[in-house]
Amino acid sequence: MIQEINIALRNLNRQKKRSFLLAGAIAFGIMIVTLINGFSGSFVENVNENFSHLMAGHIFIEGVEKTTTGRNYYFISDDKILIDTIESLDLPLQFITKRSEFSGNLVYNGKTLQQNIVGADWSKENYFSERMMILDGSFDNMSEPQAIILSKEVADRLSLGIGDRMLVRMKTYTGQQNLGEFVLAAIIADPGLIGSMSAYANLDYVNQLLNLQTGEYKIMGLYLSSMKPIDTAADTLYKALEGKVQLFTRDSDDEETNFVEAMMQQGKEEEWEGLRYRLYTLNDILSEVQDLVNVLDTASLVILLVLFVIIMVGITNTFRMVMLERVREIGTIRALGVQKKGVLRLFLFEALFVGLLGFTAGLASAGIIMAVLHQINWGMDTPIFILLKNGHMTFKLLPWQVIMNLLVVTALTLLAAWSPARKAANLEPAHALRVQN
Amino acid sequence: MGIIELQDVQKVYQLGKVEVPAVKGVSFCIEKGDFISIAGPSGSGKTTILNMIGLIDQATSGEVLIDGRPTSKLKDAELTRMRHETLGFIFQSFNLIPVLNVWENIEFPLLLGKTRVSKAEKAGWIDHLIEEVGLTEWRKHKPNELSGGQRQRVAIARALVTKPQIVLADEPTANLDSATGEQIIELMKRINRELETTFIFSTHDAKIVDIADHIIRLRDGLITENVRRGTPVGAACPTGN
Ligand SMILES: Nc1ncnc2c1ncn2[C@@H]1O[C@H](COP(=O)(O)OP(=O)(O)OP(=O)(O)O)[C@@H](O)[C@H]1O
Ligand SMILES: [Mg+2]
Repeated sequence: MIQEINIALRNLNRQKKRSFLLAGAIAFGIMIVTLINGFSGSFVENVNENFSHLMAGHIFIEGVEKTTTGRNYYFISDDKILIDTIESLDLPLQFITKRSEFSGNLVYNGKTLQQNIVGADWSKENYFSERMMILDGSFDNMSEPQAIILSKEVADRLSLGIGDRMLVRMKTYTGQQNLGEFVLAAIIADPGLIGSMSAYANLDYVNQLLNLQTGEYKIMGLYLSSMKPIDTAADTLYKALEGKVQLFTRDSDDEETNFVEAMMQQGKEEEWEGLRYRLYTLNDILSEVQDLVNVLDTASLVILLVLFVIIMVGITNTFRMVMLERVREIGTIRALGVQKKGVLRLFLFEALFVGLLGFTAGLASAGIIMAVLHQINWGMDTPIFILLKNGHMTFKLLPWQVIMNLLVVTALTLLAAWSPARKAANLEPAHALRVQN
Repeated sequence: MGIIELQDVQKVYQLGKVEVPAVKGVSFCIEKGDFISIAGPSGSGKTTILNMIGLIDQATSGEVLIDGRPTSKLKDAELTRMRHETLGFIFQSFNLIPVLNVWENIEFPLLLGKTRVSKAEKAGWIDHLIEEVGLTEWRKHKPNELSGGQRQRVAIARALVTKPQIVLADEPTANLDSATGEQIIELMKRINRELETTFIFSTHDAKIVDIADHIIRLRDGLITENVRRGTPVGAACPTGN
């Protein structure tokens, strides 16, 4: 056996170029697949983390109040019961954010642009300022009550400069038209795919525009210390709140529709009264991201299979050639007493080593590429910002994926070499020895 | 005592629809420890007969007995095992394993069987054989760094490493110049005397035939002469069966 391995290894060395090409093809396939695996592995994490920053939390609670006239008002007026419940639980909580937001039209110099505007208490959400890439102006300008931070795209489209004042047309929480005025405090880089989603203002002023009282707000965000326990924490919190307040159900059995949308529907479809809370998580919002990752993973598996069908044809052909080249050698070792099985093993070992060599090389080159890509700072203003971690690409390879790829490669390589190996093993020694080559 | 006996052996090759009778009913007996030459012109059936004795080819009819044991009904695995245990092979074009060096080529058959010898004993024996064939300086060289004569010496050592009872050599000198060829035959003859290994070699070179104790001449798949130490001998083994 050891001698078979030894000979198989040396045989590989015999036609260096050929072995190299075969192993190289396998390495290429493995590299591509490993890169996709690595990318999709950290994809969800990065997207979730970036979103958790933008949305200021991992678990969110919204309040909906139904008036006697049957209209829904969205706001949280008294959060004492919520806060008490949260504090009574042992959640991995870092802090709680309170935000209000509305969608309105910014008007400047005859130009109008619809924009979602988020109001936050910046003295409490100071971490957020570190996340923003300020291109112009300063975060300090937010001390001005009517200050607003706009993305570069929005500022450009309205031709706004720092210190410029613009109007905002919007509706109060009860649906009355209202008019306000903002002053541009800072311009930030577009935070990627969800780019011009939000502008940022002070909570008090946003509340004022919404006609909410001091202490009232629209969304409570629970910022956890880690991404992992989101769902368990949400379940715990939901159970604890269930007895104390009215809640929209969190069943997301329906795979078809988006969970959050479904919860929005509940408000309209069901018969209910008074005050209800809606509890949802980042995972609920980003379930589509997970879908995307599943697509990526499936795609990588398909790529692996397609690449390897092609590579397998190469392996089969190469080993057929190898078999023909070595006919007399096979006859010789058969004469010397090597059993058919021994010849079979000799070929399969050789194939196995090509596979392992290719796999190792592929994994190594993927590692190098990942390391290089990770080093590059794409900055905060790239369109793919949301996929990155602080502007850097990150990769996360799950061990089972690597092992799975290894098994697939090994199995397919052996399968590809099987038929030529069988032919070699079944050569008639007398016949093989007469062959001149 | 007969170590090999062929009883009315025939071999017909099938070339498509054409049947090629290569050996047409051959019987002879080979004595243990003899130095035998199978001589004959090209196409007379020398290789075919050696292949049947060497259990790498099977007779169409008749029986080949090795050490008194009939072989026509044996399965491939069993034949392979017998080849390994009782036979050594020397080929016309040397057939060394190109990726192994001299020492490793000679060692190769020892790694195949089930019997395990101690490392030191094995190494000592291989070194001894290398010395015997005069290649001590070349032990780490690969076959492609050796001359034809040297390669055939490696092959001789390899054939002897398992201490087989019989060594078969199909035209071992055909790819060598006549002086080297004669040296190879001399070497084989010396080992034959020293180790009492039965050697059977085929040749169509009249000059080296006469060195043999026992000469079997073939023509068109039939024996034309069967002489041992100057005396014609019968087809069957005297004490065998
Ligand atoms: N595989 C085969 N198929 C068909 N015919 C064969 C085959 N092998 C040998 N023969 C024929 O059998 C006959 C004997 O061949 P063999 O090789 O035994 O002769 P040989 O005495 O060894 O000749 P040479 O001196 O040329 O090696 C020849 O006519 C040859 O053409
Ligand atoms: Mg021949």
